[in-house]
Amino acid sequence: MVVGELTEEVDVLVIGAGPGGYVAAIRAAQLGKSVTVVDKADLGGVCLNRGCIPSKALISAAHHYEAAKTSPYPGVETTATLDFSKVQAWKQTVVEKMTGGVKTLLKGNKINVIQGEVFFSKPDEARVMTETEGHSYRFNHCIIATGSRPIELRSIPFSKRVISSDEALSFDQVPESLIVIGGGYIGIELGQTFAKFGAKVTILEGTDSILPLFEPQLSRLVLRNLKKYDVDVVTKAMAKSVEEDETGVTLTYALGEETHTVRASYVLVTVGRRPNTEELGLDTIGIKLTDKGLIEVDEKCRTSVQNIYAIGDIVPGAALAHKASYEGKVAAEVIAGHESVVDYRCIPAVVFSDPEIATVGLSEADAKAENKEVSVGRFPYAANGRAVALNADEGFVKLIADKKSGLLLGAQVIGAEASNLIAELALAIELGATLEDVALTIHAHPTLGEMVMESAEVALGSPIHVVVR
Amino acid sequence: MALYELRFPELGEGLHEGRIEKWLVKPGDVVKEDDPIAEVENDKSMVELPSPIDGKITQIHVEAGATVVVGDLIMSFEVEGSADAEPSLGTTHAASDTAQASVQTTASASATETKAVTAPAKGATQPQGVSSREILAAPSVRKFARESGVFLGNVIPTGPNGKILREDVERFLAGADHAQSESHDGATVMLPHEAQSAQTSSAEPVQGNFAQGAALEERVPLTTIRKLIAQAMVRSKHTAPHVTVLDEVDVTELVKLREELKPLAQERGTKITYLPFIVKALISAVRRYPALNATLDEERQELVLKKEYHIGIATDTERGLLVPVVRHADQKNMWTIAQEISDLAARGRAGKLGPNEMKGSTISITNIGSAGGLFFTPIINFPEVAILGVGRISEKPIVKNGQIVPAHVMALSLSFDHRIIDGVLGQQTMNEVKRLLENPRLLLMEV
Ligand SMILES: Cc1cc2nc3c(=O)[nH]c(=O)nc-3n(C[C@H](O)[C@H](O)[C@H](O)COP(=O)(O)OP(=O)(O)OC[C@H]3O[C@@H](n4cnc5c(N)ncnc54)[C@H](O)[C@@H]3O)c2cc1C
Repeated sequence: MVVGELTEEVDVLVIGAGPGGYVAAIRAAQLGKSVTVVDKADLGGVCLNRGCIPSKALISAAHHYEAAKTSPYPGVETTATLDFSKVQAWKQTVVEKMTGGVKTLLKGNKINVIQGEVFFSKPDEARVMTETEGHSYRFNHCIIATGSRPIELRSIPFSKRVISSDEALSFDQVPESLIVIGGGYIGIELGQTFAKFGAKVTILEGTDSILPLFEPQLSRLVLRNLKKYDVDVVTKAMAKSVEEDETGVTLTYALGEETHTVRASYVLVTVGRRPNTEELGLDTIGIKLTDKGLIEVDEKCRTSVQNIYAIGDIVPGAALAHKASYEGKVAAEVIAGHESVVDYRCIPAVVFSDPEIATVGLSEADAKAENKEVSVGRFPYAANGRAVALNADEGFVKLIADKKSGLLLGAQVIGAEASNLIAELALAIELGATLEDVALTIHAHPTLGEMVMESAEVALGSPIHVVVR
Repeated sequence: MALYELRFPELGEGLHEGRIEKWLVKPGDVVKEDDPIAEVENDKSMVELPSPIDGKITQIHVEAGATVVVGDLIMSFEVEGSADAEPSLGTTHAASDTAQASVQTTASASATETKAVTAPAKGATQPQGVSSREILAAPSVRKFARESGVFLGNVIPTGPNGKILREDVERFLAGADHAQSESHDGATVMLPHEAQSAQTSSAEPVQGNFAQGAALEERVPLTTIRKLIAQAMVRSKHTAPHVTVLDEVDVTELVKLREELKPLAQERGTKITYLPFIVKALISAVRRYPALNATLDEERQELVLKKEYHIGIATDTERGLLVPVVRHADQKNMWTIAQEISDLAARGRAGKLGPNEMKGSTISITNIGSAGGLFFTPIINFPEVAILGVGRISEKPIVKNGQIVPAHVMALSLSFDHRIIDGVLGQQTMNEVKRLLENPRLLLMEV
């Protein structure tokens, strides 16, 4: 720190360059603001470097390897070999392409990018520590988008062999065996991926089913598939302690009254993520937090401190990249004087498990809990020509609509390309489409999308390709 | 014991909101089914809201003066025994124009607890219990409304399933620029620091409704009727290209005739104005030119020629302009028409007209003559296609057979929808009205 150091004035300061922060920065710049982005690590945040993108790269590679090993098409004989270090190198190029893209976008929008760690010194001033020096910035507006990091279990602290998703994504070889603690979407995605690459995987889940946030109809199919890859799934299991040695770890867990042990090369802990709010100095400037350590915001993404906004994983709501980006745009627009608010009817969520799960809006159970009378339409992949031709006839599309008006309230898709099919349904809900609107929209044949149309027809009682009982 | 929740019922076809003028009951009161519980002003009149049920009022959720939207929770009741009303959400559509309350039950026969009653926020003009999430509108429309300062809960939807379309917001904007102030205290949740920041921050322009200078202007919230009049006017003006033909009629004979009839009227205990004559003249004229006694079915692009003659009479009341209808005016004699007009006008002023009495006109007359004034542009009572405006009768010199003579001259303005009716037809109709009013005895030949 230099005596007499100058404080630099910036208009909009964005802290964190994940999908929340970099999107906010670009939108603010588009709207004529001069923007400075600071990130202590890499551009793109968790999503591009240690989350969505690298995980999906590995998932796709594993899927392809698996398919190549046991070709899904009779008559097409293949043999597959795996050079995992090449897979990793390729994954890295994907990540670099994406982060390079972000860098170009920021530059193209004349956004000033700084590498360093930020904390607040005053309500309108932040200090940025780089490796060698500290520097103060006075801002007119600030957007906090510092994201989240893996939660560490106190009894099973991270170590060489007890790892988080960050390390799992960077394995330089496929571990012989892997214990995953936590059957949420990250645990399932990674566990299933390494099982496909050949690891012996055990998944321990504390509640009574994997993917506890999804309806049992959905998680059941994933569970069935996990068994195909010889994955042991233990539910209602509480991990207690680990013992680590040169070659692996032994994990002790409780299953009701009984105590069990299981041994593997690594333990991957995926029990949730914690918001990065502790080290920002939020208390010194009086930003209000919820009891979970999330930053309280209103629908314009404003915190309790004037001119400071917060978005993404550090605010309440789903910890998803697309939500972070959406909020980033809202915050930037509000700063630019627009009447923007966080205003969505629904937010899609996808699990890139095998088969994929995608949901949007209300589930049937949610709707019933809200005392809504619903019509439900369910259409199986097995009755769709394209799905059968893809040899992917497992899964279904399910629509949930208001019984009286036919308004679409929610949708669930499990099966091949569920992640893409859900987009149409999110749009339909946002636009206030009814089952009839969906049924009357011509869907190209033969495509998986036809199932969306047909499930609407099922709900309306007149499907063509299944028989209504 | 069970709990009933009364949601604001639909008070007539297509009426989505109303203003609770006055509560006639208070919490603790015990009411019987059909007892009046509130006075509600809807788009056209004041109606009494009857209790749907026998019971004890436990809570009133909306303050008097508040505008409520159909479906809003307005009152909770405790009732004896089991819930015999349908446990349906939402509202039942009133079959007639009498208000029927829809009822929601939240507790079973035995349960005494009053669960699931969400106490709505206070606030006078904000529709209660309508979260922006429940309002149906596409994202772009929501954005447009937000940017225009319109709270969607105040907009009357015309899309399917009660969906608000962009046009609905535009119509609202055109008719009601008060929206600005309403949206700010309603649509967004304001953190305490916001009000502060609005006052202290110099970086951003200060928003109007926080601004100083409150004494320099006064903001008067529009009444429901005014909002609806505004919307109707804008719709008419925006959709129907208005052409107005203006003309003068020598009504010297009519003035004389009316003088003659006055004592007779008195005997019958009624008053005769010029309006019944004008009604008769107009009917006779549009019989000859039926395109003017019509409504436009926009959706099917058809002109619906009416074989009946229901004449809307625009009436000025304290609550705003109402248009009660003299039905089957062609089948009624002058006395009956006179009597009906005065009765409708009196009840209109007292706010006692039912919505049905203001529906179904086939052509309308608007009269500003009593307030003075000659020519003007009457706005068509859409989807009708024509309206006759009546101005003052003044004494004027006119030229008759080469002689300047004094005469009583009435100013007439006939507006018509130029999409349907061309100028010549408009003028021909006007000429026919003139011919009859100039020779009022001809009118007596009419039924
Ligand atoms: C394995 C995995 C898979 C995932 N898959 C998906 C998926 O498929 N789909 C999906 O929607 N989401 C997925 N997510 C979640 C997604 O990554 C996050 O929701 C998203 O990244 C949140 O974005 P953000 O902008 O809020 O924060 P982050 O992406 O977490 O970015 C925050 C940034 O802030 C920086 N930062 C933190 N503190 C400071 C400080 N004091 N000073 C300066 N910089 C700081 C960090 O370095 C980081 O770059 C996944 C996550 C993981 C871990």
